[in-house]
Amino acid sequence: MTLTLFLEQLVNGIILGSMYAIMGAGLALIYGTMRILNFAHGEFYMLGGFFVFFLFAQHHIHPVPAVIIAVAAVALIAALVQRLTINVLLKREGWAFSTIAATLGVSIFLQNLALALWGERFQSVPYFVEGLLQVGEFRLPWQRVLIFGVAVGVMATMAVVLRWTRFGWAVRATAQDAEAAAVVGVPAARIHTITFALGAALAAVAAALLAPVFAVNPWMGLPLIIKAFVVVVLGGLGSFPGAIVGGFLLGIVEAIGITLTSSEWRDVIAFGMMILFLWVRPWGLFGVKER
Amino acid sequence: MFAPLALQGRLAVAALVAVLLVLPLVWHDTYVLHLIILSMVFGAFAVAWNFTTGYAGLKTFGHHAFFGIGAYFSALISKNFEITPWLTTPAAGLVAAAAGLVVALPVLRIRSVPHVAMVTLGFAEIVRVLLTVFRETTRGEMGLWGIPAYDGFTIPGLGEVVFNAAEKVPYYYLAAFLFLGSVYAVVRMVKSPVGLALVAIRDSQDAAESLGINLTRYKLLAFATSAFLVGLLGAFYAHYILLLTPSSVLGLDLMILVIGMTLIGGVGTLFGPILGAFVMTIGVEAMRGIGEYRMLIYGALIVAVVMFMPRGLVALLDGLGPRFGFGRGVRMATADDAKTG
Repeated sequence: MTLTLFLEQLVNGIILGSMYAIMGAGLALIYGTMRILNFAHGEFYMLGGFFVFFLFAQHHIHPVPAVIIAVAAVALIAALVQRLTINVLLKREGWAFSTIAATLGVSIFLQNLALALWGERFQSVPYFVEGLLQVGEFRLPWQRVLIFGVAVGVMATMAVVLRWTRFGWAVRATAQDAEAAAVVGVPAARIHTITFALGAALAAVAAALLAPVFAVNPWMGLPLIIKAFVVVVLGGLGSFPGAIVGGFLLGIVEAIGITLTSSEWRDVIAFGMMILFLWVRPWGLFGVKER
Repeated sequence: MFAPLALQGRLAVAALVAVLLVLPLVWHDTYVLHLIILSMVFGAFAVAWNFTTGYAGLKTFGHHAFFGIGAYFSALISKNFEITPWLTTPAAGLVAAAAGLVVALPVLRIRSVPHVAMVTLGFAEIVRVLLTVFRETTRGEMGLWGIPAYDGFTIPGLGEVVFNAAEKVPYYYLAAFLFLGSVYAVVRMVKSPVGLALVAIRDSQDAAESLGINLTRYKLLAFATSAFLVGLLGAFYAHYILLLTPSSVLGLDLMILVIGMTLIGGVGTLFGPILGAFVMTIGVEAMRGIGEYRMLIYGALIVAVVMFMPRGLVALLDGLGPRFGFGRGVRMATADDAKTG
C-alpha cells in the first residue's frame, strides 16, 4: 500500500461520504420535521437515477437541465406521495408504525414500476465530464470532483435556507412543535409536504451525480437507503448537521476499513459502526439524548 | 382478545385444522401442496413476527435474520458434519433464539420506533453480507446445495415415510406440525400472564414498569421465543427447498413479504397474519399470469390496506359473528409514540 494509493482511497471515501451525507440529510430532514422514517427514500434515489438515464443517456439532453428536471420530477412525485399517504396517516393513531408500513409499500410499488418501465438490466450513464485531474502521481476523474463540488454546494445552500430564510424558520418551527407553529400561522401541513419533497429531491441529487459511477437499476436504492440509515444513526436522527458529519465519517471509515481488509467488508464495517453507535450513543453525535 | 373463543369460534378453528390435516389425503396435486406448505411456513413466520410487533410492541424489521440463521445453520451443520436434520432443526431454533437475544439487547435501550427498525434491519444486513463474504463455506450467491433432506422412517401400520422432492405429503405434515405448533405456542403465550404483561408494555412502558413488570425480562423472552420459532421455520425451509442463497432467505424482500402479509391480514390479531399469509401466498401465485405487475400490485395493496383498512382482512370477518376474528384488531398506537415516535 503506497501513500498515493491510500490517499486516493481516502479522497474517494470523502467523495462517497458526501453522497451518503446528502442521502442522510434528506432522511434527517424528513424525520426532523415529521418524525417519520421514510422507507421509500431509496426509491426516490432510484427514480432520480432513472430520470437522468432517460433524459441524459437516452435523449442526450445536456446534463445540467437533465439533472434539474430529474430532481424536480422526483420532488413532485414525493410531494404527491406525501399528500396521499403520510399527510393522512399523521392525523391518526399509531402513525409511527403506519407511516413506515406505508412508505414500505410505496417502495415496493416504485421498485416494480421501474422494473416494468425500464427492465432489470443495469443501465449505464456516461460521465458528465470526461478526463482526469492529475496532481503529481495522484489522479482523480473530473466526474468525482464534480460530485464533491455539487454536494458541498447543495449542502451549503440547504444550510443557508434552513438558517436564514423565512421558509427555513418555518421548517424548524414545525420540527420543534407542529401545533405551536400552526398557532403562530405556519402552515404545518404544507411545510410537511414541502420538506418531504425537499428530502426526496436531495436523494435525487445524489442519484443524478452517482448514476455515471454506479449503473442504474430498479434495486439501486436499497444499499443507499441502508447507508442513509447508518448516517442518521451516527449523526442523530433528525439532525441536519449530524447527517452531514455522519455521512463524511461513514465515507472515511469505510475507505480506511476497506484498505485494511477488502471491499467486500464495506457493508459489514458500515453496519458494525451503526450497531456500535446504538450501543454507546443511541442518540447519535448531534442528537438530543432521549429515551 | 383474552376472552375465550365463543363456541362457533372453536368450531371454526377445529374445522379449519381438520381441513388442513385431511387435505393432502384427498388432493394429490404436488403444486397445490407446495403452495400450502409455503403458506404454512410464511403463516407461522408472520404469526411469530406479529407476536413481537403486534403484541409485544417491539417493531422489528429484521426477523428475516433469524430465518436465514436457522436455514444456514441447519443446512451447513447437517451437510458438513453429517448430522441428521431432525437434530439440527431444533438446534437451529436455539441458535436463532440466541441471536435474538443479541439483537434484543441494544433494542432494549431504545424506544423510538425508527431506531428499533434500523438496528434490527442493520443486524439482518450484517448476517446477509457475512454469509456472502464467507463464500468458501456458504458458497454465497452461487447457492448452497447438497443440503440433506429429512431422514425417512417407518410408521408401523402405515408404511415408510420418505422425504424427497417428489413426495410432498411428509413435508406437508411436518410443515403443518410446525405451523400449528407455532400458532399454539403463540396463542398460549398471548393468553397467559406473559401475554398480558407484553400487551401492558406495548400500551405503556412506564405504566407497566410502575406495576412491577420486568421490562427487560419480558422483552427478551418475547424476542427469543419469536426468533426460536422463525429459526425452526428457516431450518425446515432449508431441508425442504434444498437450495439456499443469502438473498433468498436473508433479503429484505422476505421481511417485506411477511410484513405485508401481516398488515393485509390484520396486525396485532391472532388470525390476521395466518389469513394474510394464505391469501397472499396463493394470491401472488394466482396472479402469476400478469407477471411482473404482481409485485407492483402487492406494493399498492400494502399502501391501500394501511390507508383504508388499518385492521386488515380480519375486520371483514367481524360481520360473521362475535369474535370470529379470533381477537379483534388492537390499536397499534402506544403511549410511547407520542413521546418518541
